[in-house]
Amino acid sequence: MEEDIDTRKINNSFLRDHSYATEADIISTVEFNHTGELLATGDKGGRVVIFQREQESKNQVHRRGEYNVYSTFQSHEPEFDYLKSLEIEEKINKIRWLPQQNAAYFLLSTNDKTVKLWKVSERDKRPEGYNLKDEEGRLRDPATITTLRVPVLRPMDLMVEATPRRVFANAHTYHINSISVNSDYETYMSADDLRINLWNFEITNQSFNIVDIKPANMEELTEVITAAEFHPHHCNTFVYSSSKGTIRLCDMRASALCDRHTKFFEEPEDPSNRSFFSEIISSISDVKFSHSGRYIMTRDYLTVKVWDLNMESRPIETYQVHDYLRSKLCSLYENDCIFDKFECVWNGSDSVIMTGSYNNFFRMFDRNTKRDVTLEASRENSKPRAILKPRKVCVGGKRRKDEISVDSLDFSKKILHTAWHPSENIIAVAATNNLYIFQDKVN
Amino acid sequence: MEFKLEAHRIVSISLGKIYNSRVQRGGIKLHKNLLVSLVLRSARQVYLSDPCPGLYLAGPPGTPPQLPGELVAGPPAGWGEPPPPPAPAAWPESEPEQEHRAVLDTPRAGDLEPEATLTGARNTLQSTEAAAEEAGDSAGDSAGGLDIFPEGPRAARHYCGCLPGGGEKQGVLGAPLHGDGRCAEDKPPAPPPVCPRKRSAAGMGGCGPAGCPGSTPLKKPRWDLEEQPGRMEEEEEEMETGNVANLISIFGSSFSGLLRKSPGGGPEEAEGEGSNPEASEPGQICCDKPVLRDMNPWSTAIVAF
Repeated sequence: MEEDIDTRKINNSFLRDHSYATEADIISTVEFNHTGELLATGDKGGRVVIFQREQESKNQVHRRGEYNVYSTFQSHEPEFDYLKSLEIEEKINKIRWLPQQNAAYFLLSTNDKTVKLWKVSERDKRPEGYNLKDEEGRLRDPATITTLRVPVLRPMDLMVEATPRRVFANAHTYHINSISVNSDYETYMSADDLRINLWNFEITNQSFNIVDIKPANMEELTEVITAAEFHPHHCNTFVYSSSKGTIRLCDMRASALCDRHTKFFEEPEDPSNRSFFSEIISSISDVKFSHSGRYIMTRDYLTVKVWDLNMESRPIETYQVHDYLRSKLCSLYENDCIFDKFECVWNGSDSVIMTGSYNNFFRMFDRNTKRDVTLEASRENSKPRAILKPRKVCVGGKRRKDEISVDSLDFSKKILHTAWHPSENIIAVAATNNLYIFQDKVN
Repeated sequence: MEFKLEAHRIVSISLGKIYNSRVQRGGIKLHKNLLVSLVLRSARQVYLSDPCPGLYLAGPPGTPPQLPGELVAGPPAGWGEPPPPPAPAAWPESEPEQEHRAVLDTPRAGDLEPEATLTGARNTLQSTEAAAEEAGDSAGDSAGGLDIFPEGPRAARHYCGCLPGGGEKQGVLGAPLHGDGRCAEDKPPAPPPVCPRKRSAAGMGGCGPAGCPGSTPLKKPRWDLEEQPGRMEEEEEEMETGNVANLISIFGSSFSGLLRKSPGGGPEEAEGEGSNPEASEPGQICCDKPVLRDMNPWSTAIVAF
């Protein structure tokens, strides 16, 4: 009897009903390309939407280029693994751009199991004047052809098409959490909970396993891989973070299987902060190299830390994102918010770091001045050309006007994914199913 | 006392999460379940180590009320004759000799009847232990398979003398990691005595490692102990979250009565309820045969996934 109920539950979740459709719009990843001209978002429904920055026109010097939709395509579909009776979510976990090498754009997008390489190209001309086909494309009888002509290219409305060029499948038993393009532009890695695989873009039926932390006996499992990234300049170096709050830096020249790390970054736990949830909040949700390659930044539940690659014993900087949540961990555990995986990003010059929080707040920390600011991404505050007002969370005692108390925070409005333009002060912030793009104030 | 209630609450929440994870789209998320099981372990340790005399119903005479280490150290006999375990750090004042006593008591605890004579936490925890044994067996030769149980009982039924402490790391979901060669005695477990409870519980929990993620039909695990060591390795490579299911089945059995009695107990616990356990107040550990009888329907509900 119970089995029937369970089956129904599973069937219902698999079908797209109305409420499910709304959930499909939740943005699950945001990424600028290497020039900042394009901004890609992936959502829970498996779609990718690419925005392109308008060319700045001389007529409107006051308007910086705005981002408009450039292309939309369905990257991944829900799949069903019949062997394991498992549904594979179509949610896009990560998008990573390849550097542009010709007129087309290439990006990698991944769900839990499969990575795909997409080519996004423009078509603004079309050939006309075929000999063997007529204008509608029907074949002509060669016997009726009396003259020959050379087809010419005529302009047409711009069409942007996305085609899947490679599908990298069946290499991951666990859920893929990261992909990272190598600086050699020929390889990339994909990381799941227990393994990291190295791929060549040209080869889809093989990948090299470079990290495997699966214990022989799964009951001895103590940690999983949570994020991984290649070094921006050294194609042999990458890092991966773990659920235990540690980061390992590996050198692929050392051995084929990089289970032994070259460097191990861990900060000793503060015993005064110990609680039931210490382990959960120390789990690293994101790791990012700085553009310079000298630093790595990690995000755990309550803090962002910057590490110098040359010092493994502790981070050089620690920023509190929302320490007022420390006393609320039990409630956050109950409503599952404690498992939220926040990402973090560097600005182009590595001087400012940004990460998200709840209530549609996001935080920026200036590493040089040590100043920080909390901003909110919401429709009310975001009329075009409005200036964002800094927000403040009141942690206790008297609440000033404009401050918001911890208990009033809306934990369903979380900013997990943000992106920073590679060279300018333009940021993209994903708030559930809305994308906000903010720019520096123009005089 | 507050810690205990808090810990209890956290344990029940964690169980709910593990249970729900089996129905969510995309399959079981290893990372989240790992974290939940860490919390479960911590909460359970606090729960069992927080001495609270009022919480246990009257046990047999001579049972000191506040030795959770001893109480849980009564697994069914037949787990070899384990060497007296060193008292793990988690146990406040649990002297080794008391654990010895518990160990010596274990032959009694091999079947239902002695269980029935004990009341209070001892029963529940022992049945939990037994259930853990069975589930743990299916998961390989590691000691007990479930690290959520305090080190005491695991030590009592340990195959190998390794214990946590001394810097040896524990697998969250199971065995101590045999890092430093202290497990010199890797005794294989002796076959268990005939235990009717075991047989009845054989239908429960742990859709073994192969069957666990998602909604595969349950592979009835075979509870022969002898073949355990190879079992995990034999399974083909897939998401091995079978131990998660074991957790659920274990805790389901021991907590079904508890949670039903507590106010606002989770709906999932109510699902599997059979007869009413004999608890008289919410929050009290109830026990006894009814709990054991409850095990089956509860586990069937979970195992249906």
